[in-house]
Amino acid sequence: MKILIADDSRVMRQIVVRTLRQAGFGDHDLIEAADGKEAYEKALEEKPDLVISDWNMPHMTGIEVLRQLRAAGNNVKFGFVTSESTPEMKTAADGAGSAFFIVKPFTAERFDEVFAPILG
Amino acid sequence: MSVEVEVDQSDLAEMVEQVWESYLDPEGVSPLIQTYDEDQPSEVHSSVSITGSWSGYVLYASSRSAAQRAAAAFLAMELEEVSEEDISDTLGELANIVGGQVKAMLPPGAQLSLPQVVLAPEASARFPNTQRMSGVYGLWEGEPVSISMWQSSSENKEEGA
Repeated sequence: MKILIADDSRVMRQIVVRTLRQAGFGDHDLIEAADGKEAYEKALEEKPDLVISDWNMPHMTGIEVLRQLRAAGNNVKFGFVTSESTPEMKTAADGAGSAFFIVKPFTAERFDEVFAPILG
Repeated sequence: MSVEVEVDQSDLAEMVEQVWESYLDPEGVSPLIQTYDEDQPSEVHSSVSITGSWSGYVLYASSRSAAQRAAAAFLAMELEEVSEEDISDTLGELANIVGGQVKAMLPPGAQLSLPQVVLAPEASARFPNTQRMSGVYGLWEGEPVSISMWQSSSENKEEGA
């Protein structure tokens, strides 16, 4: 499977990659996007099976990326990994069709719990 | 606007512990050992500001060696491979993660800034009109690491000031 990791922080993208490996998902094809616009474009062009996105990113926020993908008829599995978490954000994410909401800091166990049902 | 902040010393300690458990010491072999010394030295620091329902700063400071070790842990690199940019990015992310956790405990309406990183001691930082409200100070593998919260004193002005 192909997984797109969208975060404007290079360090956080690396941490997500490392944690996916620790959780046993390192064999999947991992690609990255450094802002919301790139995430949107890569989600359409690269056709990933899963998008793991930050919330706050330059150009387009994560929730804007998700909404625009859905508006374009794209139903890729999409969810958030974010350092900020409010009930409003979770409601907005659910409403837009988000599959998961992971709050930083996260562990490999948390990734396994969320991604095992998705990635098998 | 002035609100009672619900983030106390033990909350901050718990947030810091989570960062260690998740990223810096996932195997639980090198925790941050608290020294309770708010004046311990540092060589590098990073901060995020929070504005809105509460205003102030979250500050992360450490020795350069501890920052290098954190970068190696974050980026899954060997210590000697860590570059200056890796250290800067890691320090920024540490302030961002702790700041995000603090923000999550504040009343709605708080905004988190982008992190600022300075490869110079915390003692060189100036946050005018602020006071330290809590902090976690410790040694990680013998190297100093501090995480502190600073409240803007405008919060404390009398109503109508």
